Amino acid sequence: MPFKLTEEFRETAARIRARYPRADAALIPLLHEVQREKGYVAEEAMDELAKFLELPYSRVKAVVTFYTMFNRAPAGKYHLQVCRNISCHMAGAPGLLARLREKLAIGEGETTADGLFTLSSVECLGACGAAPVMQVNETYFENLTLEKLDALLEDMRHGRLLTGAKEK
Amino acid sequence: MPNLTIDGRSVEVPAGTTLLEAAQRLGIYIPRYCYHPKLSVSGSCRMCLVEVEKAPKLVTACSTEAAEGMRVLTASEKVRQARRDVLEYLLINHPLDCPICDQAGECGLQDYYMDYSLRKSRFEAEDKILRQKRRAAGPYLMLDNERCILCTRCVRFCGEVTKTAELEVMERGDRSFIDLKEGRALDNGYSLNIADLCPVGAFTSRDFRFKARAWFLKRTPTICLGCATGCEIEAHHYEGTIYRLVPHPNAETNTWLCDHGRMTYKAVRAGDRLGKALIRKGLIDLEPALRETATRLEEAKGAAAVLGSPWLSVEDNAALARLAKDSVKTANYCFDFSAEQGIKDGILVNKDPAPNTAGTRTVKALYGGLSLEEFTGLLAGGKIKILITEAKAYGLVKAAAEAAGIRLIIFARNRGEAPAAAYAVLPYASYFETEGTFVNYQGLRRMTAAAVEPPQGIKPLWAVVNKLASYSGAELHLDSAPRALKDMDF
Repeated sequence: MPFKLTEEFRETAARIRARYPRADAALIPLLHEVQREKGYVAEEAMDELAKFLELPYSRVKAVVTFYTMFNRAPAGKYHLQVCRNISCHMAGAPGLLARLREKLAIGEGETTADGLFTLSSVECLGACGAAPVMQVNETYFENLTLEKLDALLEDMRHGRLLTGAKEK
Repeated sequence: MPNLTIDGRSVEVPAGTTLLEAAQRLGIYIPRYCYHPKLSVSGSCRMCLVEVEKAPKLVTACSTEAAEGMRVLTASEKVRQARRDVLEYLLINHPLDCPICDQAGECGLQDYYMDYSLRKSRFEAEDKILRQKRRAAGPYLMLDNERCILCTRCVRFCGEVTKTAELEVMERGDRSFIDLKEGRALDNGYSLNIADLCPVGAFTSRDFRFKARAWFLKRTPTICLGCATGCEIEAHHYEGTIYRLVPHPNAETNTWLCDHGRMTYKAVRAGDRLGKALIRKGLIDLEPALRETATRLEEAKGAAAVLGSPWLSVEDNAALARLAKDSVKTANYCFDFSAEQGIKDGILVNKDPAPNTAGTRTVKALYGGLSLEEFTGLLAGGKIKILITEAKAYGLVKAAAEAAGIRLIIFARNRGEAPAAAYAVLPYASYFETEGTFVNYQGLRRMTAAAVEPPQGIKPLWAVVNKLASYSGAELHLDSAPRALKDMDF
C-alpha cells in the first residue's frame, strides 16, 4: 500500500513545523503524529516525512529506530512494553518478560495470532522509583509482581482494562 | 591566546584550539577513533580522555577547548587506566577476526591494544553480541558491522563532505549499527575514502579485499592523473604490482581522493596492456615496429604531422616536439590545448579530464606550433598523410583524421585506448612506472614517481621517441627525462 501524506496531515505537519527553528527539531513531534494516526511508522512514512522536512531518509530512520516508543509495524490491541533498564531489571523485569513470553507464547517484537497482544522490551520509561514498570499502550502499570501481571492479563483478555487510544 | 601546560610543557595556542590539537603542536600524540581533522567533532569514542587538573572527571581532548592556565596530563596513571577501560568496552563485542580482516596491520584497535592495553579479555566469545557480517555496501565498499566501533566518521563524511548523508547509526545501545537505506548503494563517487577513514575493519575496499597484507606494501608518493586537479597520492605496491592508491593529504589540493582516481592504477596491469608494439593490429617487437614507422615517415616526407597530448607529461610532449622539429623536420605540429578548468563537484573532480592541459602550455611556449584549430584544418585539408600522436589526444582530431584517411602512428599503453584503424601502435611506460612532470589546474608543478617497473622492454615515451628519431637518422640525445626538459622554462 503506497503511503501518502494526506492533505490534512500536511496541514497539521506544517503547523507543527512552524513551531521550530529547524526542520529536524520537528521530526519527533511529526513522528508521534504519524503514529497517532496510523498506529505505527511505516518505511514509506519515513520516506515521505524525510521529503516533507527535507532531511535525509537515514536521519529519519535513525531517530525512529533509536526510540522504542515508535512502532515500526502495526501493534496488537494491547502493546505490552516492559522496561528492561537497570532499575526494572534489578526489581524483576526479566521474570515479568519470561512470564509474558510463556503465557502469550510469543517472543519480544511479536504479536499474538488473535491480534490482541504485542510484546516489547523497551528502554527506561522514567519511572524507576516504581520499578518494575510495564507500559500498556499509553498507561503505566507500576510496582508489578507476577500476580499483578497475571491479573492484568486477565483483565485485558476480557476487555476490562482501559489503556488509552486503542480502545476507541 | 590561552597559555597552558601539557605534560609539564607549556604552549600558547589560538583561542578555540582543542586540547588534542594543542598536544599535537607539542608532538604529543593522543589516541583517537572518532576525531578526524577534516570532520566535525563527535566526542563519542572516548579514546582521547585526558586529565585536566582540578576538573572532576577526565575530559575528551578532541572536544575540550584549551583555556588559560590549564594543566593537562596525557599519560598519567588515571589516563592510562581510562584508555584500557575504553578499549575493553570497544572490544566487548568485537569479533577478533583479525586473521581474515583486511584492516589488520593498519587497525586502530590492534595498534592501541598494543600501545595501551595488552590485557586479556574478560569476556567470553559466546557472550558477544553478533551483528551483521560483511555485505557489499556499494560498488567499492564492504561493510562488516560486527567490527564497527560506532565512531561515526563514515556518517560524518557522508553528511559533511559528500553531503549525500547515506549513512546513519540505527537502533540504540549495544544493538546499534551503521546502515543505509535498504536498496540504496553507497556510490557517491568518494566512497573509498570511507575505507581509509574507518579506523577498524568495518568498511573495507572491495577492490583491495584479500589482495595483499598492509604490512608488505611499499608506499611511493606520486600524483593522480585522473583529471586536472592532480591530487597527491601514495601508490601502495608489492613485488612490482600496485594494489591501491590512497590520498596523501596536503593543503594545496586534496585531503581525499575520488573513486575514479583510485581506480586509475588498474590500467597498469590490465589484460590489454601492451607489452609489444602493433603494426596493422599484429603484435611485433618495439624495435622492428620503430624501423617500420621510420620508413613510413620517410615515405611521407613533408606530409607528416605531430600532435602532443594533455594526457602526457611535459617531458613526453617536449620529446614529441623535438621529434617534429629535429627529426621529421616539419612545422605541422600542435601543442595547443585548452579546456575549461576548475573543480566540478565542489570537492575534487575537475572539469578538465586531462591531467596536463596547463603543462602543454610550457611546451607550446618553447616550441610554438599550430593552434588546435589550424591543425585540425590541416588534417582535414588532405595534405597530411601520416599523424603521430597519443591515443587520447587522437580523440580530439579523430573526425578530421578519419575523413582524410590519414595513416596513424599512435602511442598507447593499452590496446583498448588505441583506435582500431591505427597503422602502428607504440607502447610506452605508464606514469606509475616512470617519472613525469604535470602541471595541474592551479599551475602547481608536480612529478609522478616510478612505483613499479614497466613490462619488459617497455620504455618511457621520450625514450621511444628518441629511438624513433635515431631510426629516422636524427639524434635527439634524449637519454634521460631531465634532458627532455632542456631549455624548458617553468
